[in-house]
Amino acid sequence: MKTVDAKGQLCPIPLIMTKKAINEISQDESLKVLIDNDISVKNVTRFLEEHGMKVHTDKKGNVYELIVNKTGNIPESTKAEDYCSLENEKVANYVVAIQRNRLGDGAEELGTILIKAFVNTLPEIDQKPKTIIFLNSGIFLALKDSPVLDSLKKLEVKGIKILVCGTCLDYYKKKEELGVGIISNMYEILERLSNADNVIYP
Amino acid sequence: MLYILIFESIHKVLKAEQILAKNNIKFDIIPTPKDFSSDCGMSVRIDTLITDIELVKTLLLKNELNFQIHKKEI
Repeated sequence: MKTVDAKGQLCPIPLIMTKKAINEISQDESLKVLIDNDISVKNVTRFLEEHGMKVHTDKKGNVYELIVNKTGNIPESTKAEDYCSLENEKVANYVVAIQRNRLGDGAEELGTILIKAFVNTLPEIDQKPKTIIFLNSGIFLALKDSPVLDSLKKLEVKGIKILVCGTCLDYYKKKEELGVGIISNMYEILERLSNADNVIYP
Repeated sequence: MLYILIFESIHKVLKAEQILAKNNIKFDIIPTPKDFSSDCGMSVRIDTLITDIELVKTLLLKNELNFQIHKKEI
């Protein structure tokens, strides 16, 4: 069995080493990964599970032994770094779905300032969402000239998935101006919404 | 260095936002941090790495907008 020794390595190194090794072995072959910190164990496990592989973990002293059967593939385009979650960053299983470029009903200028404050607060809070989805006129907040672009980029770097409705970008003719996140479709959006413990519609 | 500018009312924040935007100044709208005020208010956040705080002060005062200013270490 091929073994990856990621002892003493911090995220994202164990993820990168695991990805490389998985892509080197053949289907159904097993891989052993040695890791000595809890966070990396969680990250590598999540990384493999999200790519359709089951992980068996054993702890021997201070070292975790992860055994995985290659039953899936990790596309070359997958960024292993995206699966890093820092110790102090709690990602909760909730989704924020932004359907408009304003928050709440009422005066337009108030709604506009409230949504800015809402998005700018997300990077500051402890319990960050797993995913942020932009739909309909909400997509204007994810464009290059968005007043909350920096906050969204900060969240994206921390591994929070930002999905922007492709149909909506198309409708408003703003595809070229997308500043953050990835263009997504209703299948993926609905999947994310239905898998979340909670969904916030600001 | 970050500066937090706190205004008397949301109307003043909206006015400040308009003035700063018109002058192409980079800033963020954030909820007023709890350590500065217990009001549920909005503030303007200025990052001195990208924005000249003195220019912001001058512009706002010229437009008769009063504010409290707080420093926040990053």
